[in-house]
Amino acid sequence: MKKIVVNNLTKHFVLKDQSRLDVIGGLNFEMEEGEFLSILGPSGCGKSTLLSILAGIEAPSGGEIEVSGRALAPRNNGIRLGFVFQQPRLLNWRSIRDNIRLPLEHGALSGEEQLNAAQRYLELARLKGFENYFPLQLSGGMQQRAAIARALAIEPEVLLMDEPFSSLDELTARKMRAELIRIWRETGKTIIFVTHDIFEAVYLSQKLLVVTERPARTYDRIDVDVGYPRDYDDDRLFEIAKKVSRLFLKMEANDAS
Amino acid sequence: MHTTLRAYSILVLFAAWLGLSFVFSPQVLPGPVPVFQAIWENMASGEGFYHVYKTIFRVLLGLLIAMVIGGVFGVMMGISLKAEKFLESWVMVGLTIPAVVYAIITLLWFGLNDSAAIIAIGVTAFPAVAINMWQGVKDIDMQVITMAKAFQIPRADLIRKVVLPQTVPYVLAATRYALGISWKIATTVELIGMSSGVGYMLNYWFGLFSMTQVLAWTLTFTLVLLAIEFLLINPFEKRATAWRAVVQV
Repeated sequence: MKKIVVNNLTKHFVLKDQSRLDVIGGLNFEMEEGEFLSILGPSGCGKSTLLSILAGIEAPSGGEIEVSGRALAPRNNGIRLGFVFQQPRLLNWRSIRDNIRLPLEHGALSGEEQLNAAQRYLELARLKGFENYFPLQLSGGMQQRAAIARALAIEPEVLLMDEPFSSLDELTARKMRAELIRIWRETGKTIIFVTHDIFEAVYLSQKLLVVTERPARTYDRIDVDVGYPRDYDDDRLFEIAKKVSRLFLKMEANDAS
Repeated sequence: MHTTLRAYSILVLFAAWLGLSFVFSPQVLPGPVPVFQAIWENMASGEGFYHVYKTIFRVLLGLLIAMVIGGVFGVMMGISLKAEKFLESWVMVGLTIPAVVYAIITLLWFGLNDSAAIIAIGVTAFPAVAINMWQGVKDIDMQVITMAKAFQIPRADLIRKVVLPQTVPYVLAATRYALGISWKIATTVELIGMSSGVGYMLNYWFGLFSMTQVLAWTLTFTLVLLAIEFLLINPFEKRATAWRAVVQV
């Protein structure tokens, strides 16, 4: 059974002047359990809307989404999805531990189990020793690691990541990408990672889904057959990145004509 | 460090007062010693407590009205554009009319009693509360609310854990501001039309040209307000906003 099946997903918004804005014009993809998929597309192409739909924040206009064979709608159908945003989006008045604990507080876990889970994922994200710090006392990279720990703490079936490293400086982002791969391999989570950074997508993922400008459609699927852990200077990754770049140029040329 | 600085600043103020009191005659500026003596005598006779109690009672009830009306106005203006456009002019008019006008109107309407004072205080102080709360609601970070929704946090939890904590600094600012306004309007109302309270006593001693007593009553209530600030508001603020006292690591 596939972990995720997205079938002919569409989304449009009706604007104030009653005009219709098509954001997603038909997306199809499937994922196996434990896979790492990147969705790559130009800025403003509706990638974030796709993640919002998967997270249950927005309702789709058409099409189906299944997670582990169950339809996602309505209200996520009890399917747990972890979300990491572009910004850490931590609650600044809560300690790091209490931030990671936040999504567990309304669940079935006892107080002690919540603390244990928070501690486990805090350590997985290498934040041991910073439990009682407040978010604003930590660097941007550490805050984002706390956000990843928070998303993992709910033991999600799928981890959704919306350009999580794009607001970090490049060196920090590189470290974070390596950390993410380590966490992914330790936890075996299914990850959907949205980005507009071609090399980031190639470096991280097993599969790439290239989507068009708005309204987003599936343009191409690319496999990255390079084993982990990967090296930043690996020529095979560069070759694939070049191929994807050419694909983007071709896609834009098609659009222009 | 900050405490010593604060202590020095008060010490300097008293030294200046003492120094100036030697320059001027006691009718113009009595020194700290006779003024504190007067405070002591007022309190010892029980009269001081009575009038301070009357003023605090009016201030707190008026403040409560201001916080409730201002809070409702501010929150509505913050969440709804229609409410903002509709109520904005009310708040602005409320803010512009001099406090003494409210005092006169309420005294004429309700007579020379506590309700007049309390309503005057509530009406005068509510625009300040409304403006602070309006700003507070507008400044709520929508990003963390989306985050909470993505994590399926129930609505009641979302409001309690994600929305309300963000408004704490604004509620504190509103309280502080409104408290300052309330005490000023309270003394004005008492001065014009009451037969009790600090404002009444100020008027009484003004009639007798006793600078010592005027300063004694002013200082009494200033000390009460400082006590409220440093014993209630300040410690609460320190606890509620501890996360802001930060050092980058």
